[in-house]
Amino acid sequence: MAGFRLIDLAKPLQSILPEIELPYENIPFDDKLIYTFVSALVYILCQFPLASISKEHIDVKDPIFFLRNVFASETKTLMEFGLFPLISSSLILQLMAGLRLIDINFKIKSDRQLFQTLTKFLAIVQYIILANIFIFAGYYGSNLSPGQILNLNIQLIGSGIFTTLLCEIVDKGYGFVSGIMTINTVVIATTLVSDALAFNQIAISDSDDTITEAQGAIINLIQSLRASHRTLMGNIVSVFSRDYLPNLSSVLLCILVGVAVAYLHNIRIELPIRSTRARGMNNMYPVRLLNIGCLSILFSYVILFFIHIIAFVFIQLIAKNDPSHIICKIIGHYEVVNNYLYVPTFPLSLLTPPRSIQSMIFKQPLTIIVFPLFLATTGVWFASKWQAISGSSAKDIANDFKEQGITLTGRREQNIAKELEKTIPTASTTGAAVLALTTAVGEFLGLKGQAAGMVVGVCGAFAILEFVTLEYQQSGGQSMLAQVLGGAASAFQ
Amino acid sequence: MAKESSAMDKLSESPIEFIREGSQFLSKCKKPDVKEYTKIIRAVGIGFVAVGAIGYAIKLVHIPIRYLIV
Repeated sequence: MAGFRLIDLAKPLQSILPEIELPYENIPFDDKLIYTFVSALVYILCQFPLASISKEHIDVKDPIFFLRNVFASETKTLMEFGLFPLISSSLILQLMAGLRLIDINFKIKSDRQLFQTLTKFLAIVQYIILANIFIFAGYYGSNLSPGQILNLNIQLIGSGIFTTLLCEIVDKGYGFVSGIMTINTVVIATTLVSDALAFNQIAISDSDDTITEAQGAIINLIQSLRASHRTLMGNIVSVFSRDYLPNLSSVLLCILVGVAVAYLHNIRIELPIRSTRARGMNNMYPVRLLNIGCLSILFSYVILFFIHIIAFVFIQLIAKNDPSHIICKIIGHYEVVNNYLYVPTFPLSLLTPPRSIQSMIFKQPLTIIVFPLFLATTGVWFASKWQAISGSSAKDIANDFKEQGITLTGRREQNIAKELEKTIPTASTTGAAVLALTTAVGEFLGLKGQAAGMVVGVCGAFAILEFVTLEYQQSGGQSMLAQVLGGAASAFQ
Repeated sequence: MAKESSAMDKLSESPIEFIREGSQFLSKCKKPDVKEYTKIIRAVGIGFVAVGAIGYAIKLVHIPIRYLIV
């Protein structure tokens, strides 16, 4: 089609969709820090339980429990779908633009604005579709009145639009890095801390309200030493293995995954560089193994999410989760586990991380091969494309070098791009593969999505820390907050 | 662009080649030493726990609110 461009679709939407205005002046460092973290905290505050859910027993359980951690979503709250629509629409559209599937010129301002509007619109459309899939699949109760359906729609879509705007505040220059990344990181950090240290008591027995356990695993360990409803030994076993609340082994594993990712994040190859303008200015230019960060994992999980949502539509909405239905025979059906999870059976189980090591070995042995393979292939494919379009490709860096009068030691200036092209794509793809394997191993130990969450969270934390440190140095250290946070920032340098 | 598509072809043709290249690359890389590593872990760990604690404090606000509205 001549002259037709996909982004032109966004033109009439520009006047309808709400938008954050660009800041009039430069935002000082302290304000940026506050904008960034407060918008993440507002997000956490918004995890309110949904109103007008059916009070009766609901048969349909959570089909995407293992994806929630990655997208900062909480089941049956306003943040039911979390950041997923935002992440998927921006990743997919940027990838399409980079691969020239969408005709767009990022140098033109109006094109950039149209692209932003299109991304936002696509995210909101996804919120609408997802909300209605969940409503009509009976996730909030099987016989909802039209009023309830309308109410749920308003809540879920309204909170979706709100989340979009919340991210936009950070993105548009009021905050650091990207809104999606900061919110995701803060939510993941909150999950980890509350899994480990939450001291609120939750009743664990249906019959007796007085028997409570702490939500946090470490607090629970301390309390269990003097709890009376089990023997001491039983208590300690339960601390490590309870599955109704976070247990200590999964918290420890999460920390282990985080530590491993921190190690991977600091693996780099150092290219010797020197200045062409001044003599004796020798330095190292680091090319990181994880130079595209956690995006490869996010991309894999976006695809996983789509697969599982489509499967959910087929199995629940069309076949009503009836094992004798033809669709369920082809793609599998759901089994209720622990009264709150929907665990798919073969073949859909191939792309579902197992709930524990035992169930992996005895129930879904093929997953051991298929799941990491899936993560690795999608991740590596994404990495190989993304590094070329992301603005830190070999060509871009070579151009930067030229402008700053830097050259690789022992290379001709013309060969810089070639040399970088040997290193950077290999680094990205290898990094994506290693990250995929780390995630898969973590998931196999029964973390139910927390391993992937930790990978994303720790990578995000590094990105934010790096950006904040850089910004801090550029602002010349005029910051009251920095005196408080200075310890962490200077320790990183 | 040509370079990365050829890298992709290599991957689909022979994963073994990809793994060999990758592990070669890994062995060339500079890994963080113990001192640097502990410093990083401490910095990120403190940040993570501090941010998480603030987030948890906000989540605690939910408990009375839930009690009120449910």
